[in-house]
Amino acid sequence: MTETEVFIQQVILGLSNGMIIALVALGYTMVYGIVELINFAHGDVFTLGGFLGLTIVGALGAAAIIDPGALGETSNWLLLVGLVIGCGLFCGVLNLSIDTVVYKPLRRAPKLTQLVAAIGVSFILVNVALFWGGVPMDVFSGGAAAAASKDFPEILEGSNLLGEDSNVVLRLEDIAIFAITIPLMIGLTLFVKKTRLGRGMRATAQNPIAARLMGIDTDRVIAATFLIGGFLGGAASVMWSVYNNTISFQMGFRAGMDAFTAAVLGGIGSLPGAMVGGVLIGLIRAMSDQYIETRWTNVVVFSVLVLILVFRPSGLLGLKQREKV
Amino acid sequence: MRSFQSFLRASAAVLAASVSMGALAAESVKIVSSLPRTGSANAQTTSMVNGIKMAIAERGGKIGDIEIVYEDWDDASPQRGNWDPAVEAANADKAIADSSVLAYIGTYNSGASKISMPKLNSAGIVMVSPGNTYPGLTKEGFGEENEPAVYRPSGKINYFRVVPTDDVQGSVAADYAKELGAKKAYVLHDRELYGKGIADVFKKSAAELGIEVVGFDGIDNKASNYKSLVTKMKQAGADVVYYGGTTQTNAGQLAKDIVAGGLKAKLIVPDGCFEEAFIAAAGAKALEGRCYITFGGVEAKALTGKGKDFYEGYKKTYGGEPEGYAVYGYEAANVVLAAMERIHKAGGKLTRESVLAEVGKTKDFTGALGTWSFDANGDTTNRTFSVNTVKDGKFTTVKVVQ
Amino acid sequence: MKAVLPRFAPFSRGQLVVLALLAALPLVAPSYAASGRTIIVFAIMGLGLNIVVGWTGLLNLGIAAFGALGAYAYGILTCEIYPFQFGFWGGLLLAACVGAVAGVLLGAPTLRLRGDYLAIVTLGFGEIVQDALKNLEAITKGTQGINPLPAASLPGVDITSETPVRWFYLYLAILAVVVFLCRNLEFSRLGRQWFAVREDELAARCMAIEPDKAKLKAFATGAALAAVSGALLASVLSSTGEPANYDFQVSILALCIVIVGGIGSITGVLVGAIVMIGLNNIALPAISDAMQQAGIGSTSNVFTSPNNYKYLTFGLALVLMMRVRPDGIVHSRKAVRK
Repeated sequence: MTETEVFIQQVILGLSNGMIIALVALGYTMVYGIVELINFAHGDVFTLGGFLGLTIVGALGAAAIIDPGALGETSNWLLLVGLVIGCGLFCGVLNLSIDTVVYKPLRRAPKLTQLVAAIGVSFILVNVALFWGGVPMDVFSGGAAAAASKDFPEILEGSNLLGEDSNVVLRLEDIAIFAITIPLMIGLTLFVKKTRLGRGMRATAQNPIAARLMGIDTDRVIAATFLIGGFLGGAASVMWSVYNNTISFQMGFRAGMDAFTAAVLGGIGSLPGAMVGGVLIGLIRAMSDQYIETRWTNVVVFSVLVLILVFRPSGLLGLKQREKV
Repeated sequence: MRSFQSFLRASAAVLAASVSMGALAAESVKIVSSLPRTGSANAQTTSMVNGIKMAIAERGGKIGDIEIVYEDWDDASPQRGNWDPAVEAANADKAIADSSVLAYIGTYNSGASKISMPKLNSAGIVMVSPGNTYPGLTKEGFGEENEPAVYRPSGKINYFRVVPTDDVQGSVAADYAKELGAKKAYVLHDRELYGKGIADVFKKSAAELGIEVVGFDGIDNKASNYKSLVTKMKQAGADVVYYGGTTQTNAGQLAKDIVAGGLKAKLIVPDGCFEEAFIAAAGAKALEGRCYITFGGVEAKALTGKGKDFYEGYKKTYGGEPEGYAVYGYEAANVVLAAMERIHKAGGKLTRESVLAEVGKTKDFTGALGTWSFDANGDTTNRTFSVNTVKDGKFTTVKVVQ
Repeated sequence: MKAVLPRFAPFSRGQLVVLALLAALPLVAPSYAASGRTIIVFAIMGLGLNIVVGWTGLLNLGIAAFGALGAYAYGILTCEIYPFQFGFWGGLLLAACVGAVAGVLLGAPTLRLRGDYLAIVTLGFGEIVQDALKNLEAITKGTQGINPLPAASLPGVDITSETPVRWFYLYLAILAVVVFLCRNLEFSRLGRQWFAVREDELAARCMAIEPDKAKLKAFATGAALAAVSGALLASVLSSTGEPANYDFQVSILALCIVIVGGIGSITGVLVGAIVMIGLNNIALPAISDAMQQAGIGSTSNVFTSPNNYKYLTFGLALVLMMRVRPDGIVHSRKAVRK
């Protein structure tokens, strides 16, 4: 492989990984923007999305409705889009229910109280994922292997689009990530910019009290935020599972950490910030793996984060925070 | 203050409950095992625990008229999903504090033994490991300069193992890489005691065999994928990748990414991956014909003699195939129980001291692993290794090295 | 601010009750003295975190990293394979200094960051420290862990792993000293500065308090205490273990101790440590053993092994706690009221 090929390959990998991180980061940043809560459970909502995806694919395969290996190209994509919507809805509703049951009654409590409640929810979800297991679900089989990583079947055909002899590998999965995340991001941006509810979101983010006085139903806005944030997390979990082909009950931890870092890097509360931050982290990881050493990659990522925050305390695209008195 | 008082009451109740549990029947001795029971090693350790239980059950749960009580302790915590040093230390302390504990079977992870060995050594409790393969625990010249003396503060040997060590296993793997025609090896490890240790041995042996080591790096075992690393290995022109790590440290993901990244190299992994969970995690497709797993011993169904009896018995009792390490759990328990029987037959009393001394005398022991002895370091003289691959979703042996 | 407690008494009534309760543990259940040490270790880490989060209002998600630095400092300064060999007390004090210095080094450039930005920086710092300790093998022995490390010692008293009760009481004495120091800090000029900064930075500035300096001092003190706890844990394990022992989960555990116990209250943190670590390290394993002896359930099945419900138990406890008693078990008069 020539140096150029290597570089191109790492950019592809960095972008693909980064887009997934960005999708998860959006969930963090939206919720934070509206209710100023670091939603610790978001990463684990994401995990459950992956498990639901595995269960659906497994059940379809087991019921011989479709054999993921023998699908035609179109139905592959249909299945993928179906999974994105299904798992997205599941995660959105889950996120919304968590908000209703746990966070909403604590809305006026100190921020740390909410944070700890979120940590608590995160623990509960991790445990649910542990019990969920793979296919067949371990509930029915005693579950000695429940904690092991699960193989996620290949949905898209895995050959190299640039030809088997090409050194640079570009697979359908990479394309799928772009084909699904970019429309989602554009859709979200348009939604927040153009719709009534989106305007409500922006207003609530700026000043919830003023927004309420202006007749905005802030409860509805908050609910929509959790729903959409969860949906994006669910969509990300499908992309993540399809891309990595493995899920485990602890996958939300690293994904969540990366995404949270991305959200802060870009400026927490800022939608474009989360996207930029996610892609940036993906690229930094790829470049560090290639040009430094993989064992130093985490150190590199967080050092970059600290450096950027030292010079731009509100992140790359974050607004300069007004002093609250 | 009301809830504070109720908290006091609650904690008093917990304490009272735990005290009352200490009581045991008079004529009984205790054997405990300390293995990672929470997390993804569970399937493997369940199999090992079954092996231990089998060994005890075969003796009717008794040595003479003394009842054998077995307790299955967990040295993992859910937070880590893997063995946890604080828990292992607590287990060792618990064993020391309970005077009826005469033998400690464990640990599975070499790192855990580093914590409990010196404690149990001072207390003179015999420790038989069914899983540790890091050489420095018993042999000089592999790890730190103060090893293994540091684990033997009393000066006596209390630690024995029934598995052959990594210094042999690493070179078996290197030999096999050579056999596969490898010219350039990329060596990875999981930055844990066991993985790093065996990767070091592989690196050294490979270099001696004339295989060029084109890279050596520790990976982040929580990473979501290793695709970027695979690209780097591709650039380095590796035709064999060695990963010193376990299923728990993401070996499955690495195997997958090597395939997906178009790196046409064979993957060789050590015995930490010799479990069904590895195939479940990696998917058989990523392993078949391209991944080789070395293991200290042979797979359960290839065992002969007493080993065959074990295999049949296990399947009958537990209704499933034993994992690779089950037989070591069985053997470790048998070594201890056999020593106890010898003491009892000679009219001696079962104490920590007598059991420790008697286990150390194990010589020409005919067990499920063949006939073997403990050498002066406490290591088994058994040197059987196998190289396995995956075929039709199952492990199959491709080579046995004596 | 109402100073209702006599500030000249070494301990408040609540603190005395909890310390006495801890002191009674080995009398009631000697076999739990060994695990009791872990409660003390985490109580000290919690007290350190309480200064940062509870009193100064800075969210620190990487307190475990300072514990790691303390443990490794203790390891390097006392282990026989290094040339220093300062012994238990020397190692402990120097570990505290290392912690304080690390706190200043991290704090100086980052403390001007707003709450949640600071949180992610501390979280990142935790990851950096862990990875650096793993990778700098020449100094830290990587994942080998540094061992053996000296047991706690006291002239004239023989303390080893076979005498966990003595060891426990020595640690309890250290905890008492830490509690005493914290209580003095709470009522000191510096303590009042911290509260002022937490309540309103701008107003504090108007009162001629330099928030950055006060924050830095809080960070350094908290880090030093966390480092002490790390060193004490290393001494219990007789090894630094491996860097992954001091991961994010430990930071979260420390945070839960502070908040469940009662943020801002020293007594609260002590209670929090007893509840959380007692649940985690004593009650759940005891239940697990009891179930096994009674023949109910087995560790082989995920659903019948109590350990696999740990996350669920913890999670539910945290959520319910926050719903029912958001100020923690012990409510501090001076807790955050935002």
